[in-house]
Amino acid sequence: MSGKEKTMKKHISATAALLVALIVLAVLPADAQTLPAKPAGPTQALPKVFLDWPGADLDFFRTEIPFVDFVPGLGEAQVRVLVTPQGTPGSETFVLELSGLKEFQGDDNTLTHTPAPGDKPEDVRKGLAGLLKLGLMRYVAKTPAAKFVSINFQDLVKPTSVVDKWDFWVFNLSANTFLMGETRYRDAMYYGSFSANRVTPELKVQTSVYGNLQKMRFDFGDDIYESSSHGYGFSSLVVKSLSQHWSAGAFLSAQSSTYANLKVSVSAAPAVEFNLFPYSESTKKQLRVLYRIGYTGTRYNEETVYFKTAEGLFQEFLSVAYEVKRPWGMVSLNLEGSNYIHDFSKNRIELGGEVSFRVWRGLSFEVGGSYARIRDLLSLPRGGASYEEVLLRQRQLATGYQYSFSVGLRFTFGSTRSNVVNPRFGNGGRSISISM
Amino acid sequence: MRRHLGIVFVLALAVSSLAAAMSQEQSAIDELKKSAVKIYLDCGSCDLEYIKTEITFVNYVRDRLEAQVHVLVTTQATGGGGIEYTLTFMGQNDFKDTSDVQKYFSMKTDTDDDVRRGLVKALKMGLMSFVGRTPIARRIAIDYTRPENAGPGRDRWDSWVFSLTGSGYFSGEESYMSRMANASFSANRVTPKSKVRLGVSADTEKQKYDIDGEVITGTRSSWNGSGLFVKSLGEHWSAGFFLEGESSLYSNIDLGLTAAPALEYNAFPYSQSTRRQLRFLYKLAVNPVKYREETIYGKTRETLFRESLSATLDLREKWGTVSVSASGSHYFHDFSKNQLDLFGIVSLNLYKGLSVFGLVGRSWIHDQLSLLGREPTFEEQLLRLRELPRTSDYFVSIGFQFTFGSIFTNVINPRFGSSRSGGMSIQIN
Repeated sequence: MSGKEKTMKKHISATAALLVALIVLAVLPADAQTLPAKPAGPTQALPKVFLDWPGADLDFFRTEIPFVDFVPGLGEAQVRVLVTPQGTPGSETFVLELSGLKEFQGDDNTLTHTPAPGDKPEDVRKGLAGLLKLGLMRYVAKTPAAKFVSINFQDLVKPTSVVDKWDFWVFNLSANTFLMGETRYRDAMYYGSFSANRVTPELKVQTSVYGNLQKMRFDFGDDIYESSSHGYGFSSLVVKSLSQHWSAGAFLSAQSSTYANLKVSVSAAPAVEFNLFPYSESTKKQLRVLYRIGYTGTRYNEETVYFKTAEGLFQEFLSVAYEVKRPWGMVSLNLEGSNYIHDFSKNRIELGGEVSFRVWRGLSFEVGGSYARIRDLLSLPRGGASYEEVLLRQRQLATGYQYSFSVGLRFTFGSTRSNVVNPRFGNGGRSISISM
Repeated sequence: MRRHLGIVFVLALAVSSLAAAMSQEQSAIDELKKSAVKIYLDCGSCDLEYIKTEITFVNYVRDRLEAQVHVLVTTQATGGGGIEYTLTFMGQNDFKDTSDVQKYFSMKTDTDDDVRRGLVKALKMGLMSFVGRTPIARRIAIDYTRPENAGPGRDRWDSWVFSLTGSGYFSGEESYMSRMANASFSANRVTPKSKVRLGVSADTEKQKYDIDGEVITGTRSSWNGSGLFVKSLGEHWSAGFFLEGESSLYSNIDLGLTAAPALEYNAFPYSQSTRRQLRFLYKLAVNPVKYREETIYGKTRETLFRESLSATLDLREKWGTVSVSASGSHYFHDFSKNQLDLFGIVSLNLYKGLSVFGLVGRSWIHDQLSLLGREPTFEEQLLRLRELPRTSDYFVSIGFQFTFGSIFTNVINPRFGSSRSGGMSIQIN
């Protein structure tokens, strides 16, 4: 075949294809009234379903359930739906047996439709189609048609509409240890806690007691350094919902910590919160402003830089938190300020934030950081910290500021259809996560 | 006037009867919710709060044995750098006779919101088989928007995916400062038949302490380039080749190159890898290396031959997670230069709110050929800037958790912030 003949042939086949397409287009709109449009390519193929129910009104099911292709015989079907009416005619129940064939082999389920007494035949049929839609989802989900299906619950329902003999109280007891070491280094951590929580939309109660202990040992050959630090305490939070935007509550806590030089510290603080967006949207966006005022009574381990061994102080606190999570990325910003009432110059202000943003297709950008201006370290011990305590970060140190900043940029390009999983020689992406 | 009153009266009657009808309807729906499917969502990487706000037609329980459906979500990396989520729906109690497996694939470029939406969709579709058995089914609407036909075209990148990342981290206070930076580039091509992974990365880190005017500075830097080629030989066997080049201050290596052919056997079929694997990997490596400073053995450069064997068992079942591995290696010029590593993690979701976990790692190290010839300084030791001689190391962690009380976890209450449950979280890659 010469080159000219080849191009000629190409032209002819292109013209023919165009004609066929035109005819299909012309015929489609008229046809679409009664039958769902036939998908164009095999990639958009709908699951083929054989409705095994002699006398069924197939046209009705075709219009009700457009996301499957009802086929006339079992031969080409991928799913068989056997409908068996049971009981006396007029008040029967319908058993729907769905069985997967071919690539859906083994995908089976049985559902039952019990019409409400007094349902008209149309209602019964409609109910049946509704249930069949649910039953077919497992197959549709495994085809490209899944992308075009949406499932919605038509009502708002209270999450507390359940029968619960514990009245939403949940108790939790946990204990963990972590030990590690090598020839010249040892580290042991112990952690335990007990909590009792009750969370309902109207009221949130969270209480816990906890304790932790850490021991370290370094062997420098001629010199051995050992250290031990601990912390324990109690904390509780009660929040009452006032409206979609307002809440009121109180924090109560007691703690002891070697890191912070606290022998014992007890505080109580009532608080109010305002959310600019309704709380029901909080997984998508929230802008919360929290004000807290409280009293803290403290006894120190060592005399502080202000020559105190014990004191009782009032402190106020304000925070603004903004969070939004959207298809383009997420933003989280946090601004906090606090001061002591007896001396306003003893204060602290902290700004923190995190942004991750998809700039364009494979290009995404992440930035996060925090800055704190600190003028309220009242508990610092006068004696300072040892050389080793500084290097091992076991003591809070005198500082007027604290910052951290991170930035990351990622650009990915190339194939966008590589959904292949190939686990051979490990794939560096399997993670185990344990939350306690 | 009277007509007005009449209208008002009729209106009031209409409003009140409408309200009554609505509240009656609402209580009917609340009644439906009581008999909704009880599910146990076993997923460490899911945004649970989002799922619970989006899917309200089921009841969430915290104990797996109470549930009618146990939804186990396992993940694996895809060739494109995304994640394959396998959702295994296991019917339990009165739903024992049915089960299903659904998949959802995220792309590397997807944002968190894209991923959680996709997962919710897959969850909803999979749950329908079970929801269809409860009365709440009649309040579910399923809609279909007919697509404009445009099937996927040909992949002009031929499965190659490239990724470039850079990141920096800076922190400090008056007496302390730390800086870290990292850059990397990778090119991967993963198909069921073969796998190619190429990557280069560089890291640098600097720490500075100020103790009463005395300044201590520590730096660490390293770079690394690697390549992996794997060919699939059936459902159980694979053959491949590792290539690596590295430089590291910590390990006293100026330039080290490794080339290693390898063979792997998986006792389970690779197609089950998201739930179970038992893999044995044998590697034979040649490693020419040039040191930064003379080593403890008086070498500045040498070429090493080494073989290694590792076995890894990973199981993810209803009752928990098991991951155990053992690997051993030795050099050919001196068999006493060897290393053995054991690692195990077991997390069991036992019974009625009781779960336990254990984590163990133990190494016997007799092959630190690159150790410094001199004694490291005090700061190098304390800040762990240099590899120190050791013959063994270990870590052990055990813990338990017991939860009792209400089995339902339907409620999301974000007021005053949502606190994470205390305790610990371990992520191992």
